[in-house]
Amino acid sequence: MNFLPLWRYQNQLIDGAIITLELTVISALAGLVIGIAGAVALKGRITPLRWLVRGYIELFRNTPSLIQIFIVFFVLPNFGLKLPAFEAAAVALSLYFGAYSVEIIRAGLDSIPRSQVEAGQCLGLSGWQVFRHIILPPALRNAYPAVTSQFVLLLLGTSLASQVATDELFHVAGFIESRTYRSFEVYAVICAVYFAMAMSFKALFAVIALAAFRWPRRR
Amino acid sequence: MRSFSLIDFVSLFAALRWTVALVVLALLLGAPLALGLALGRISRFAGLRWAMAALIQVIQSVPLLGLLFFFYFGMPVFLGVQVPALIAVTVAYTLYTAAFLGEIWRGGLEAVKQAQWEASACLGLSAWQQFRHIIAPQALRLSLPPTVGFLVQLIKGTSLASILGFVELARAGQVVSAATFQPLLTYALVAAIYFALCLPLTLWSRSLEARLDGSR
Amino acid sequence: MALVEIRDVRKTFGKIEVLKGVSLDVEEGEIVTIIGRSGSGKSTLLRCINALESVDSGEIRVEGQKVHAKMPDLKKFRQRVGIVFQAFNLFPHLKVERNITLAPLLTGRVEKAKARVLAEDVLTRVGLADKIDAWPEQLSGGQQQRVAIARCLAMAPHLMLFDEVTSALDPELVGEVLKVMEAMAEQGMTMILVTHEMGFARNVADRIVFMHQGRVWEQGPPAKLFANPGTPELKSFIASAK
Repeated sequence: MNFLPLWRYQNQLIDGAIITLELTVISALAGLVIGIAGAVALKGRITPLRWLVRGYIELFRNTPSLIQIFIVFFVLPNFGLKLPAFEAAAVALSLYFGAYSVEIIRAGLDSIPRSQVEAGQCLGLSGWQVFRHIILPPALRNAYPAVTSQFVLLLLGTSLASQVATDELFHVAGFIESRTYRSFEVYAVICAVYFAMAMSFKALFAVIALAAFRWPRRR
Repeated sequence: MRSFSLIDFVSLFAALRWTVALVVLALLLGAPLALGLALGRISRFAGLRWAMAALIQVIQSVPLLGLLFFFYFGMPVFLGVQVPALIAVTVAYTLYTAAFLGEIWRGGLEAVKQAQWEASACLGLSAWQQFRHIIAPQALRLSLPPTVGFLVQLIKGTSLASILGFVELARAGQVVSAATFQPLLTYALVAAIYFALCLPLTLWSRSLEARLDGSR
Repeated sequence: MALVEIRDVRKTFGKIEVLKGVSLDVEEGEIVTIIGRSGSGKSTLLRCINALESVDSGEIRVEGQKVHAKMPDLKKFRQRVGIVFQAFNLFPHLKVERNITLAPLLTGRVEKAKARVLAEDVLTRVGLADKIDAWPEQLSGGQQQRVAIARCLAMAPHLMLFDEVTSALDPELVGEVLKVMEAMAEQGMTMILVTHEMGFARNVADRIVFMHQGRVWEQGPPAKLFANPGTPELKSFIASAK
């Protein structure tokens, strides 16, 4: 075992980690937008739209993320939509994350009892005011653990983007491996970097939760 | 280049046996480990609790793809001899399964109220009898929906073995796609097969969940 | 003109007709207590007055204005009619002060600088001025219910509805809530209460309304009604409530 040959590749590692972070954050934000829109559609009255969202959720949750990335990268060009590797991976991962977000956000909204809404209405608040001030904060708190753990899974899942040659961390590993032939050492280091990133996010999310959700839990 | 034919269709389905084999191996070996991890997590020895928590945390904070590569290249380093890729891959999926199922089952065990342990202790049952007859059945009922849900994750996760050259479903798809130049048809078919495997499990998990909610 | 006029109101949930033609007037400053077995339609009637449920037929007027879920100034209407629920329904993520000032601030009743004074004022009226910076979950059930009352008072309502507000409380906490309601009654607030507290109904109410099977079965001043119930149903209800 010899980790020394890897030392000179630290810049590549850092660049790869940055791309991994970009891919994660972009996909998470886009996925959350999809999740919110989907949750609203599921709660709405337009039946065809509800079916469409349900179909989307089942389709993306019941097929591997890897295949989804392949389809966006290899199949969409047949329809004239040729995306570079990073963009293709971001689109596929956003749709994947979005499918999970819809359910999480909907469950968060559903966790607020009807009586809270009525209490707000009875004080003369508008629909939007009730949503913004009465439903949203506790719904966010209830959805927070699921959203953040899904975010960490997304961070780890971006490694699949390496399979369409996105220059993220895992792809960098392949590059270093091809230069050094130190396969085991390379992947041990890569795993450690993912571990460090995942733990940092978990710590960050815990701190945010402490600051944002100060009110005591229901006894 | 040749057109998509029955042969390609058959080769996709033939590849399914590796997908199934990997899932079965991971479950057979991972489930007992998961039970051990779950019990360790609720043990009365703080050291053991911490060690198990750390182990689970590490496995869950590394990409599955990373685990696969780590053991694929690591087994010879650890053991000093070359081992078949199947063994390395099985080790990775087993640990992955153990960590996630262990955490799910711990949640189930902890959701059974403390009063149930106390009540069964009052009946004069031994610790093992309490676990076996009182706690485990209730915990199993509570954790069955997420357990089935994880099974879906595992099935989808076996697609990553393709990257290490296993000719399971996803890899067969790549091969067929390259041979026929029909990525659309091939990947749609591959996705459809995964979908057909996973959707019933997802729906089952959801109905189990709904039944639990209803009985609460 | 009565403050609240209820005319032949009917309401059906699924196949069950909960209100079968209810008529009732409540004058300004009057305290009306609705009693009856569970399922007699008391709570539904209360919820109809506040447009939380809409009536199937008949009509409800408050201050002459016809009440229904799609009335044009529903929000303004609800600011004039306060309701207190059995389960308090405080907002768990807001401190007591914000629970009280949220609606007055959002609806423009009070400006930011004066909001805290308003909260202090209504909290003093329910005897909880020292809890202004507490979280709801840190309070006892009785205290939470008093904050809920204060939250309504901050909107300066013309009419207050109380829906079994002491039913979810431990027995030793019921008294403190009833005392607050008595004080409000003395100050001339118009109040309609659904309650199981017969002592309170007897001592504070101007009028008792006995509901049975979705109808107003019998009504009158408490002394008369409790001493000489006119129907066997009320008689058996009073006997069982003791």
